[in-house]
Order: sequence, then C-alpha cells, then structure tokens
Amino acid sequence: MTGKSLRILDEGQGEYLTVEPDQFREWTGRKERALVSKLMTAAEAVSRFVADGDYIVWETNYLNRGPATLIREVIRQRKQRLWAGGKFTWVVVAMLVEAGCCDRADMGFFVGGPGLTRAVIEKRLKVYEYSNLVMTARLRAGAMGVSFIPVRSLGGTDNFKYSGAKLLEDPYTGKPTVVVPALNPDVALIHVHQADQYGNARIFGTTITDVESAIASRKVIISAEEIISTEEFRHKPGLTKIPYYVVDAVVHQPFGAYPGECPGHYSSDSDHVVEVLGAINHDRLKQYLDKWVYSVASDEQMLTERVGTSKLRELQRRATMVAVEGYRA
Amino acid sequence: MIGKGPWSQAPKATSFAEREFQVCIAARLVEDRKTYWVAGGGGPMYSVLLAKRLYTPDVIYVAEDGVVGAEPMLPFDPVMTLAAARPSYRALMWSTMNGIGDHCAAGYLDYGVLNTLQIDPYGNLNSTWLGAYGVEGRRFNGPGGADTIAAMCRRVVLMLDHQRRKFVPRVDFISSPGYLDGSEGARERAGLPAKTGPWAVVTNWALFDFDPDTRYMRLRAIAPFVTLEQVLSEMSFRPLMPSDGKVETLEPPTEQELTIFRTEMDVSGQFTDTAAHWIVKDGERWSVVAKEQSKKISPL
Repeated sequence: MTGKSLRILDEGQGEYLTVEPDQFREWTGRKERALVSKLMTAAEAVSRFVADGDYIVWETNYLNRGPATLIREVIRQRKQRLWAGGKFTWVVVAMLVEAGCCDRADMGFFVGGPGLTRAVIEKRLKVYEYSNLVMTARLRAGAMGVSFIPVRSLGGTDNFKYSGAKLLEDPYTGKPTVVVPALNPDVALIHVHQADQYGNARIFGTTITDVESAIASRKVIISAEEIISTEEFRHKPGLTKIPYYVVDAVVHQPFGAYPGECPGHYSSDSDHVVEVLGAINHDRLKQYLDKWVYSVASDEQMLTERVGTSKLRELQRRATMVAVEGYRA
Repeated sequence: MIGKGPWSQAPKATSFAEREFQVCIAARLVEDRKTYWVAGGGGPMYSVLLAKRLYTPDVIYVAEDGVVGAEPMLPFDPVMTLAAARPSYRALMWSTMNGIGDHCAAGYLDYGVLNTLQIDPYGNLNSTWLGAYGVEGRRFNGPGGADTIAAMCRRVVLMLDHQRRKFVPRVDFISSPGYLDGSEGARERAGLPAKTGPWAVVTNWALFDFDPDTRYMRLRAIAPFVTLEQVLSEMSFRPLMPSDGKVETLEPPTEQELTIFRTEMDVSGQFTDTAAHWIVKDGERWSVVAKEQSKKISPL
C-alpha cells in the first residue's frame, strides 16, 4: 500500500448483506433481454421469485401504493428466513415476524410493539440499525453498481454501531465521512399504477426508492393496478419509471395496495389500517393474519369475502373525489 | 426567543389542551421564507401548517416521501399524514426520498421539525428502544427519516411531552443526533455537516434552546399555567437557565389559532385527545381539568 492506505476511523459491528457488484452484474447478465410476456398470478410470481433466505425490499406498504397483495402472498406461502430491508416499511415487518417469515431486518422505520420486542429479546429477530434515508442511499449505490456510498448522516448515533457503516478519513477533503455498504437485494416487490406485459412500469406520485430498488435487485416482481399496451408506453416514454429488462414478473392486481392507498385509484381503508395497528400494539397479529391472509386462498377471495364490493367502491369514490390530478397519464 | 407577534394582540383562548398549546408555540417559532423538513404527522406537521396559515405564508415544507411545497387537502385521513394523496396535493414537486435527501445534504433545507420519545441535555433523540437495547424494555419504530433531518437540516426543532421519564441525562439509544457528547466539533468528527444541530425544544409546558458555548439545553420560557418548579420537577436533569436569569412566560393560544387547528387539522381530536388534561382559565387563574385518558391510537 506504500503508505497510501485509507484510514478507517470507526466502524459499525452490524452484519450486512455481502457486497459483490461483479457478481450482481453476472446475475443481471443472465436475465432475459427480449420483450417477452411476464404476466402471471401473484401466487405464481411469489412462488417462483421469492426464495427462503432472500433479502427482500418493498416500501410504504399499507400506506401508499405498497405491494400489499404480494406481501400477503409471501406470508400465505410461509416463506422463511427472509431478511427485510426496512426502509419506510411501517406495519409489514411485524406481520412477517409474527408469521415466522423473517429473522433479520435492516431498520429504517417499522412499527415496533410487543411482538417485535419479544422477537428481538428472544433472538428470533436480528435487527441492524440504519435510517430510511441511509437505506435508500444503500439502494441507490446498489443501483449504481458500486460497493459503497458516502452519506452526511448516521455518524455519531447508536445506529452506526449496529450497522455496516464505516467512518473514513475522506480521501478528498481529509474530513471524517460516513460510508455505508451498497445494497443489492435478492428480490424487490413493487406495486405500480400501470405496467405492460413485459414489465415497463409507470408510477404516478412520489416514490421512496422503488426505482432504485428495481434496478438494484436481482429479482423484481411488479404488481399493477392496470395492464396497458406497450404502444401507450411508446407514446409517452417520459412517463416510464421502471424499464422492462429489470422485471421478472408482472401481476395484474387491482386493489393490490389495499388497505393502503393507491393515489388516483382508491383511498386507504382507515378502519383496516387502525385494525392492523391495534393488532400490532395489542399483540393480536395472529388473529389479524388468520382473518386477512391464512383463511383465504388469495387476495381476490379476501377482497370479495372480507372487504366487499361496496366498501371497495367507496374507497374508489373517496380517492377520485379528492385528487386525481397528477395520477393519470 | 419568540417575542411579540400577531398573536400578542389577538384574543386569547381560555380553554385548550396542552398539546394544542404546544403546537401553537411551535408554530410561532416558524420563520417565514425558509424551507422546513417536517416529520410525518402529529405536532411537527401541524405546527408548520398552522404557521403557514396564520403567520408565515411563504414558508415551504418538504416531506420525506418526496413532496415539495404541498398545499395539502385538509383535514388528513387518520394516520395518513404522509405519503398519501391529500398531504401531497398541489405540490410543486413529487420527488423521491433520495431526492429530498439530496436537497437537504446540499444545504437547501433550513429547518427540521421532529417528534421524539426521549431526549437528553445535548438534544440527542431516542425513538428506537426504551430500556437496555436488545435485552429488556420495548422496541419502538426507529428513526425513520428523523436521523437524516437531525443530521443535515441547519436548525432542528424538537417536540415531545414534558415528562420526567422523557427528559433524561442520557438517552437509552441515540437514534437521531443532537450535539452527541456535547464537546465542540463532536458532530463534525462524526461526519455530520458543519453548522447544524438542535435549535429549540417545545413541550406542552416549556420552550428551550441550547447554550451556544456548551451546547447544553437551556430553559427560555414556560407556559402560563405551570410554575418553574413544576417544569423542573418533570425533568430528570436540570437545564441551564437564561444568562439574565429571566424565564419568560409564553402567551396562551389565540382563539384564531385554535379555531383553525380544530377545524382544519386535528378535527377528530386524535392528536390532542391523548393529552390527559384541559387547561382552563377561570377568571385570572389557570386551572387544570383532568380528563379521562383516551384509548385511541396516537398518531405516528
């Protein structure tokens, strides 16, 4: 190193997903490039593309345009040993842990409560501490094909100690700077407004980091409110947020974000959201999962038998009464 | 720290909840023609919205899901104050979380406003775990976006309930950074941007800032319905006192502040209901009317 080695001033002790940009490129090199249909059901997509032990990312589920159907299918298929990328994930980590699907989580934001506390203390769940924005920075680095990225936060906190971050002497300024490992998840679950059969996808409104997650992940499952023709994408290519070649499965799933909102299509079912928050806070998640996931064969059955069409119409009415501006092509 | 303003001349309310008082005080701290990054829901967002409505029309706020400069459709649905159509309405921009992070890291976001569960004299925040980390106690939601707001905004306003168990000499876990160990340059040595850090703490009883020389929390003003002894007795450490020894008295909410807050913001009482008491002015005396503890879920 001839006296030119980088100085590491401090480092976190948290385990992190191995960072291997070249291996990631080998994986993406094997993915299909042709425009071939990837349409399938949620059950088939989850069965084929979510494996036990996978690192899994999603966002704002049960809140805003989250992949709620896909997550329920993961729980229904009783996937195991998942490592959850918990950036702005709200209620789902608690659901996955209760369901026995998840034993590790990188923390940004998720609703805690007695069940998660017990899982941590009993060592059934290992949590590594980051923040929402540090997690999205890690995904951005993964999408850039690099192995780490500097951030101007996380330093000095206890999160740092339980993360994969390092404090370096910045080789350009000489000042201390925090770097975090890139993240290339095994699988991303993303719900979108519109997709074509190949996986080109449009999202209207804000995203946390769906686009970066799609590019950074080995396997990508898209669920879409609407399937539209590729011709429509070619007419307005500026609206395409996710390109088809990163996508492995396309699921046509109206109400795929229920009970969260899909802006422009339907509002959140706040009664349901309050029910799940109550279940987390009062340790009744098992009953919640029985009612909404295990006792039905699919989300189609859940929507028909547990929610009902009049409720769904009301949620649509509330969304379109309010604000569709910006949520249509 | 707040001084006189339009609220000083306005008719004052004689009955309100402590959390309503807290939101009004935080709203009066808002500086016009500045940018704010507000945490989702509860006091931080209500304070900035109330200020924008009454005192600082040219304040612009962003939210961590990527919304810039919204003119939100009020009131919000319960628990849907962030990442939803109504709070995103008539925005100037719909960006992403990395987008907002860039704006903040590049220095465009002046103030942050945050909630916290627990705070120490140097403004370090805990929203991760109460008790011995990973061993006993309770897991909470984690920093979410707060770590970034606390690290990179130029000035940070912190909001929490005034309770002895929340003002502690040392937080159980630093989820979001204040002045860390309080030593000069501690934030910079940890890799955080220079000239950033906690600026004010607003509770339902009091207002604090941080002494510029020691970075230690300093009491500046108290509510008209509590005594200095009460304020200090509900803290597990003793804050610094103003250098001139003069603790100011905050003005109560105005009728106008409360009308807007109650009809456009916390219309279901979800936020204020969690406060245990009503403050009532009976003649010239303030009194506290106990209220039954609500069983509703607190806003996130």
